[in-house]
Amino acid sequence: MWNFVKERWDLILYNALQHANLVFQAVLVATIVAILLAVVVNKFRMLESVANTLSAIGLTVPSFALVGLLLPVTKIGATTAFICVAFYATLPILRNAVVGFSQVDATLLESAKGMGMTELGILMRVRLPLAWPVIHAGVRTSVQMSMGIAAIAAYVLGPGLGGYIFTGLTQAGNENAVRYALVGTVGIVFVALIADLLMLLLGRLTISKGIRA
Amino acid sequence: MTETGGTNSDRAISGAELRLDNVVKRYPGQKVAAVDSLSLTVPAGEIVTFVGPSGCGKTTSLKMINRLIEPTSGTILIDDQDIRSDSATSLRRKIGYVIQGGSLFPHMTVATNVGVVPKMLGWDSAKISARVDELLDLVGLDPDRYRDRYPRELSGGQQQRVGVARGLAADPPVILMDEPFGAVDPITRQRLQDELISIQRELGKTIVCVTHDIDEAIKLGDRILILQEGAQIAQYDTPENILAAPANDFVADFVGAGSTLKQLSLTRVRALDLNRPTTARVGDDTAPVMQHAEQAGDETVVVLDDRDRPVAWPWLRQMRNNPTVRGEPRENLLTIDQAATLNDALDTMLTSTHSKVIVTGDRDRYLGVLDFETVTDHMRHAEREAAEHVEQAQRENGVPGQGRHERTPEDSHD
Amino acid sequence: MTEPTPAVLDEPIPEGHEPSGKRGARVITREMVTMLTVPPILVAAVFGGFVWWRQTAELDVVEANQLRWSLLINSRFHEVFPSWNPMDWHAPFPSWNPATWYDGPLLQGLIWEHVLLTVVSAVIVVAIAVPLGVMLTRGGLKVLAPIVVGIANAGQAAPSVGLIVLLFLWLDGGFWTAIIALSLYGILPVLRNTIVGIQGVDPTLVEAGRGIGMTGWMTLFKVELPLSVPVIMAGVRTSLVLIAGTASLACFIDAGGLGEILQTGISLFKFSLMVTGAVLIALLALLIEWLGRVLELLTRPKGI
Repeated sequence: MWNFVKERWDLILYNALQHANLVFQAVLVATIVAILLAVVVNKFRMLESVANTLSAIGLTVPSFALVGLLLPVTKIGATTAFICVAFYATLPILRNAVVGFSQVDATLLESAKGMGMTELGILMRVRLPLAWPVIHAGVRTSVQMSMGIAAIAAYVLGPGLGGYIFTGLTQAGNENAVRYALVGTVGIVFVALIADLLMLLLGRLTISKGIRA
Repeated sequence: MTETGGTNSDRAISGAELRLDNVVKRYPGQKVAAVDSLSLTVPAGEIVTFVGPSGCGKTTSLKMINRLIEPTSGTILIDDQDIRSDSATSLRRKIGYVIQGGSLFPHMTVATNVGVVPKMLGWDSAKISARVDELLDLVGLDPDRYRDRYPRELSGGQQQRVGVARGLAADPPVILMDEPFGAVDPITRQRLQDELISIQRELGKTIVCVTHDIDEAIKLGDRILILQEGAQIAQYDTPENILAAPANDFVADFVGAGSTLKQLSLTRVRALDLNRPTTARVGDDTAPVMQHAEQAGDETVVVLDDRDRPVAWPWLRQMRNNPTVRGEPRENLLTIDQAATLNDALDTMLTSTHSKVIVTGDRDRYLGVLDFETVTDHMRHAEREAAEHVEQAQRENGVPGQGRHERTPEDSHD
Repeated sequence: MTEPTPAVLDEPIPEGHEPSGKRGARVITREMVTMLTVPPILVAAVFGGFVWWRQTAELDVVEANQLRWSLLINSRFHEVFPSWNPMDWHAPFPSWNPATWYDGPLLQGLIWEHVLLTVVSAVIVVAIAVPLGVMLTRGGLKVLAPIVVGIANAGQAAPSVGLIVLLFLWLDGGFWTAIIALSLYGILPVLRNTIVGIQGVDPTLVEAGRGIGMTGWMTLFKVELPLSVPVIMAGVRTSLVLIAGTASLACFIDAGGLGEILQTGISLFKFSLMVTGAVLIALLALLIEWLGRVLELLTRPKGI
């Protein structure tokens, strides 16, 4: 096993970075989209239950099914993987962002308005920083979830460590099969752990000391 | 004077004597014992309140009685029987336990909550449901209305009442109460305290009640146990004696200043003369009642139901419009128990436009009406006597008691 | 009478104005209503659309073969019980042809396989995770609870495909390998929620139970478990959704399920098969999630 990894170390590392990169990009886009959606939802209160229902339904649809639905449009490859991961990453962030924004104290918003802040100013300087701990928790969940989804997206030749798992599957019977599957699975768990630590660090750096739990 | 150990010979006592003998609780890894050699006798049929600053070991002492906490050493006897002679669970089924907020099980109805202990004791269901109804009635909740409700559908005070009913369910000789009325608003608390005293007058249980509120301790307790750190007894005596002669500086500080005002919480309404204005029954013809009231010079009439409980208190001009006397839901009328303190009575009068208050006895039976003048007269009288008392003490000792000028004079009415 | 200020401070819940209309009824929020009504309507509509397309579209040989109804769902009732006719109430008891009994399961087809994979795994999960979770809140095992909760939280990052493939390579394929993989994957949410649910029960209620003389078991069954049912059932629902989704990967290890249509579609690159497989997987998952919600609602003790 050790030799197996050593021989392929560069490639494994490359794929791990690819995996992390796919998740990072997808979650980044998901965060921006989710926050923008949450701003809209927050403006029209009736949309709140619509958003919650849609995100619950979305999270119920299995990722393999979404891959199947996307394939006719986006073909086999990285695009499908990216859209699939980004779709699921959006949902927990959206849910948390809606909750986070609605928890911001209305009197603070009023006093910000009273000071003469613009809508955008209030969003960037009051609402977002105050809702950020909740949103950040959603992003953290998203990152963890995306790691597994990216593995499934490797079935349609998405980038990352998931490919090793499917190599293991197709080489069943071959002595290297288990090694491939193990490298893929354990590698993803490792990447996820490191990503979670980085997310914790990000929280430390970005959540205002005044509201940190 | 308020009821003390000596004055209860005329009522039934179903309680048992409780004795703690050199009880110690030492937690592993802690240098100071939480309870250090506590010895105490609670006479059968009395309420003893444990008070003291937080962390003094009062709750630990209480929980050792039903073995929620096992003592490190020492013995606890109920009716001269060691509590360790039986299993902890069967012991607890014989001891009532009432906790702050009632601690009702939210997934059980009021009836199920009250009936838990009888059910564990194997009573048959008919007996349990009869007992439940009896207890709900005793704590002032209409069984038909409340039996099938869930705790969520009750107010805080009602939940606490059900909690008391649960504690009484299996008719245990000893009842333990841990901050029983800590979670309700002051007026509800006062009512619940009155009701507890009234229930106790009827049942004569042995009750141990932990509280951090010295006023509550004074009001409820036949005796008060004031504890210092490590459950060291600072003083164990009747409220009157503790107010009159604090054993040491700790007790004096804990009882606090303004003890002339505390005197108000020491005097019960029953010690004062009540007025008996005109009364009427629900359904009586209005005309003769009005005539009687006008002759007696009353402006209001107290309306009673068929169980002698006051249900309404209309002014004459309000009654004129109806041919018969009408009642109201009993809960809408604010009354006080005869065991209420003058402090409570004044509170209640201030929220009422009558500047009087209706006083009730056992099971909310009507006793009379207390007015503001009676209370102020009594206070003036008591103050004068207290002043004489202090003067007399100064004449005898030559010094006004070691820097504690506000030291409480003996309770002087009665 | 209004004159003495009606100080009804003790009665914030006035008579005739109960919180939820019917007394003692469970509290139902608007979101619960939405989640209980929207998905089944959606599922019915989309499935109706699929049936309509399946019956009217012109399919080529491969498509028609892959999308035969008998492949999706098939029952052998008429083979095993030849005379069974529920409409004929004169002969309600079917005659039974025992010769055909062992030829295969009564219900067949990919949909049935998918359901079976999900339900069997979920039952195993509940049977293992709930007692295990209870044990982890008792006595000396308590110290392990935070570790288990931590693993359960981190476990969602473990790729389900990896688990399935590794078990396949170890135990070979088939129904029971898939069941083991699905159960392992689904156990974490139920285990975590059981621990969290029981730990979340108000400790004063547990002490009240002990204080009035309940034994340890009575406190567990009469106080702790009933009060943590909502949390545990939320975990069961999460687990059901995870299992139903992961069951779509069972096709990789020859354990059947609706994933097969999608897999065939991808390998033949036939859009119709891909979309059909994907839609059916999604619909079944939504339906199972909905059943989870119904179950959650039904098992919730009254009064909470």
